[in-house]
Amino acid sequence: MAKNEVAVVGVGLSKHVSKRRDVNIAELVWEAVSACYEDAGLKPKDIDAFVTGNMPAFEGVNLPEEWGAGHWGAYGKPLLRITTGGTTGGSVAHGGYYAVASGLCDTVMAVAFEKQSDGNSTAGLNTVAIADAAAQFALGVDPGFLAAFGGGAVGVAVYQASSYMKSSGCTTHHLDKVAALCRNNAALNPYSHLKQPGLTPEDVAKTVLMQYPIRFGHVCPATDGACAMIFTTGEKARKLTDKPAYVLSVASCSDEAAMVGIAGSGTTNVDPCAQESCKIAAAKAYELAGIKDPRREIDLAEPYAPFAHQLLMFYERLLLCDEGEAPSVLDSGSMNLDGELPVCPSGGVISTNAIGASAMERVAECALQIMGKCGERQVKKEVHKAVAHGWGGAVNLNVVAVLSDTPRR
Amino acid sequence: MEYKNETVSIQGGWPLEHWQWKFESLDLIRKTLEGLKEKKLLALKCRNCGLVYFLPKPYCRCLSIPDQWVEIKDTGTITTYTFTGAWAYEGIQEEGPSGTPMIIAGVVYDGSDTMTVCTLDEAKPEEVSVGMRVQLKWPDEPQGRLDDIAHCVPI
Repeated sequence: MAKNEVAVVGVGLSKHVSKRRDVNIAELVWEAVSACYEDAGLKPKDIDAFVTGNMPAFEGVNLPEEWGAGHWGAYGKPLLRITTGGTTGGSVAHGGYYAVASGLCDTVMAVAFEKQSDGNSTAGLNTVAIADAAAQFALGVDPGFLAAFGGGAVGVAVYQASSYMKSSGCTTHHLDKVAALCRNNAALNPYSHLKQPGLTPEDVAKTVLMQYPIRFGHVCPATDGACAMIFTTGEKARKLTDKPAYVLSVASCSDEAAMVGIAGSGTTNVDPCAQESCKIAAAKAYELAGIKDPRREIDLAEPYAPFAHQLLMFYERLLLCDEGEAPSVLDSGSMNLDGELPVCPSGGVISTNAIGASAMERVAECALQIMGKCGERQVKKEVHKAVAHGWGGAVNLNVVAVLSDTPRR
Repeated sequence: MEYKNETVSIQGGWPLEHWQWKFESLDLIRKTLEGLKEKKLLALKCRNCGLVYFLPKPYCRCLSIPDQWVEIKDTGTITTYTFTGAWAYEGIQEEGPSGTPMIIAGVVYDGSDTMTVCTLDEAKPEEVSVGMRVQLKWPDEPQGRLDDIAHCVPI
């Protein structure tokens, strides 16, 4: 059980675009960090410790905190770097939560970012996958086959999408609808990357097929961007702001890698859309948050969905509806900004993917919606409880956080 | 602070092909590769929980060491699939044999509990589905390499 109540008192986001040639990494991150200090009304001297993270090697460097720390006000303070693939930002937020919840720190800044245009994301991904791929090359797998099989990050997603569509009855039209929903929300978000106001499912259906069933319009862009959040104790939060966003719980769960096991061995995780680890993490997070019926008690969801089908798939795996029901929930309009349970009001990862920051931006959006700071994209209903999710690792890790406008009694 | 100049990029390399790894599991996989020469699929079974790994894995998800070699069938079921479209990325144009889309499927072979990946030949994209039954397409003379088991066909 957490020793301290934990609350978010500040959120800062940089401008998010595909190439930020006007700033270097430390300067890009500073945009988010300085905005976060300003939002919370705090200064570097008020921060006890820092947690930071980004994807390994995506910028072509492996210790960005080495020169980032000076830029963020972190010199002379504890600093922890966390990097867990696509879940990195979520894990960084969890790190901030744990430091405060444990009673070891009062006020912690969490910083997550990616400046993909500075390096080569494909080379970065290769550093993650090369060990397993090398084993297969050595045993007679044709590199051309492996390239077609993997297809970059799209590779994992297409297999997940095929089996999800089979088990749920989700159609390609639903994928088009998800993309249109998110990109229209993104158009209202000043910090989003791909803004497409007025985009229709029919427009998405006309984009090129990358690998069945994923079209170009179903896929996230590559983004330069950063996010910073300040976590503090409930007691301090109430002195700083009238409306903090309490973090009721965090939970994560890892599973055996899907598609290919270690060094070319088989994996018993045979259905890439099952995502049992997401269900386990969600159930644990709800239990820790004192939530008995997430379908009634959760007001807003930010699932991690760089690919269209994932918004629906993870909506189900976050236990917000029955399995196979999400496509009809989408059709009902419930996921819209003015719906019963708005999903990805920020525009989601499908609109903005600064990879290391993405899973934290899900937590940040939940906090901002609870604090009522979302401007044009503020959802119509009052948000009391929201769930933020991240997916990544070797496509085997899920992270979940539950936020609320009131601390747990 | 205003920065008027753009940041400058410098060239650098990441020579991954020069890295080396040590895999304990390769000894296991080599035994399976030997079996392929006789058109046998050798898998590793965990005596504790009964899971059967193909290709073999040095440890089980129940944390036991699987050590019982079993032969599994060369028929199986598709659990997931994709096919390449008109797809270009960083100048690479993806195409299957003779310009037709390449279908790639995850297959659970009968008698195993794991998925492996191979191409589905002799089928059209619109004919593929999850749950479809397939048979491994052996080469005439298997060489004991993973590409011996890289293709399957519908039953």
